[in-house]
Amino acid sequence: MSNDGKPVTIIMIEDDEGHARLIEKNIRRAGVANQIMPFTNGTDALAFLMGPDGTGLANKGRQLLVLLDLNLPDMTGVDILEKVKNNEHTRRSPVVVLTTTDDQREIQRCYDLGANVYITKPVDYDGFANAIRQLGLFFSVMQVPETD
Amino acid sequence: MPISSNVFVRSTILLLLVGLLALLGIVGTNIWLVERTQVYFNEVIEAREARTAAVDLRTALQDAESGQRGFLLTRNDAYLDPYLAALNRIGPRLTALEKVLIPYPQAAQPMAQLRENIDFKLAEIATTIELARAGQLEEAIAIVDTDDGKAAMDEARVFLDALIAAADRRLTDGATEQRNTATALRWVAVIGGFVVCVVVAGAVWTVLVYTRELAAAQRKVDAANASLEQRVQERTADLGRANEEIQRFAYIVTHDLRAPLVNIMGFTSELETSVEQLDTYMKQQPDDGTEAFAEARLAATEDLPEAVTFIRAATRKMDALINAILKISREGRRQLKAETLNLSEIVEATVASVHHQVTESGGTAEVDVKVPRIVTDRLSLEQILGNLLDNAVKYQEPGRPLMLSVRGRQAAGNRIEIEIEDNGRGIGTSDHERVFELFRRAGSQSQPGEGIGLAHVRTMVRNLGGDITLRSELGVGTTFIITLPRDLRSFLGSQTK
Repeated sequence: MSNDGKPVTIIMIEDDEGHARLIEKNIRRAGVANQIMPFTNGTDALAFLMGPDGTGLANKGRQLLVLLDLNLPDMTGVDILEKVKNNEHTRRSPVVVLTTTDDQREIQRCYDLGANVYITKPVDYDGFANAIRQLGLFFSVMQVPETD
Repeated sequence: MPISSNVFVRSTILLLLVGLLALLGIVGTNIWLVERTQVYFNEVIEAREARTAAVDLRTALQDAESGQRGFLLTRNDAYLDPYLAALNRIGPRLTALEKVLIPYPQAAQPMAQLRENIDFKLAEIATTIELARAGQLEEAIAIVDTDDGKAAMDEARVFLDALIAAADRRLTDGATEQRNTATALRWVAVIGGFVVCVVVAGAVWTVLVYTRELAAAQRKVDAANASLEQRVQERTADLGRANEEIQRFAYIVTHDLRAPLVNIMGFTSELETSVEQLDTYMKQQPDDGTEAFAEARLAATEDLPEAVTFIRAATRKMDALINAILKISREGRRQLKAETLNLSEIVEATVASVHHQVTESGGTAEVDVKVPRIVTDRLSLEQILGNLLDNAVKYQEPGRPLMLSVRGRQAAGNRIEIEIEDNGRGIGTSDHERVFELFRRAGSQSQPGEGIGLAHVRTMVRNLGGDITLRSELGVGTTFIITLPRDLRSFLGSQTK
């Protein structure tokens, strides 16, 4: 995953550390070597994404890809999605929603709010590992714009 | 004062009886008193007749006597006129008096005496007048002088006077009695009227009190009805909320249970991969003869793979259960779509889908649906029938050709009854209710399954406003009976109300 040789950072917002670890492992297995920044709650993740001043200006020049779980302890992933997509500095960063929720309305809402990909975590591990690995392969070919 | 209907009926009947008795009393007394009046009146008339007759007779006798005396004094025929006129009157008057006195036997003897006296007197008068005409005045006066005629006349007068006096008494008595009767009549009317008034007042009071109580009871019943209706609505709303809550709960629980399960399954897989590597490595290592090595090799080649296998089996089972709960909770949340369906077509299509499996073992399947149309949710109905037919195929008695029969007919209350009969292995009596419970299965667990099918079927049937029961005998066969409302919309309508 690259853009003019600049490194793309994967922001992984996932409260379940086990899931986070499994996701990381399988992404790595797909040959993705980018930096992965894990966050286990929405507050910390938003603080990083929006910067200390909360404007999102801090991301200028960074290339971000957000991996987002919807079930977070302090807020729902939908709130984060909304903030990311409504901020002029972060709105172009791809957001991949990766969650257990397969409710149709929730999926529609995420796409309405600007989610780029919505993936339901398969419960059986083979399916899960497979999905993450394919996602990793997808990451390795996709273009991520620079934040401005 | 509260009046129960029993007391009301009794008191009303009592009042009516009293009123009736009072009226009967008044009428009876009236009739009796009028009768009495009639009797007094007749007696008064008789007394008057007797008096008149007696007075007339007395006057006639006196006229006859005064005529005789005038003639004897003057020997002028003109003085005989009163005598001659009286003679004609005396006979009829005497007869009239006798007639009046017929009912009084004690008067018969004095009457005979009177007639004798009168006859004697008239004979004496006639004799004296004859003698005077013939010029024998001396002899005529001598006859008068004997005082015999006077005595007879006096006697007659005394009797007649007594008779008149008696008649006068009778008249006075009659008037007094009449007055008494009138007074009695007045009192009876007053008392009877009073009693009737009291009875009517009592009856009116009772009716008023009773009516007021009825009205109060009616108001209470109305209020109770209103509050009952409100309570039913509240309860229905509560039930709806509780149902929603349970479904949301099931949904959340299944989702939240899935997250740790993904971890368990994921890391088990990771563990398995690691164990495989360890296993391969340990198998390649030459045995150095130490006990520690033997134990480590046993752990790596047998204990660890075995543990991983059990963990995997357990997690797979748990995953299946969670999926089952999720499926049922989703079914409850699904929006039902009521449409007009040809039941017979749907049943035949569902039977056709298992036809291959039925004929494979030499079985038969027959469809007899006498209900052309039903308004319900197609998907639910197909799943219900499909599940039950799958079960029939799955649990057929080994070695016995399956005989499937699906029948549909009208049932009471605008409902439809569908029977699905098989000759499979049957369900024991103790399990008739249990098979409909989630994760419960009956009989020998010879077939794979999670115990979801019938629970799911029952959930769907109930969502359609129906119910499902079964008749079954172990080793003989099972019949599932589904009742559904003919029109799902009427059921959904009654729910949202």
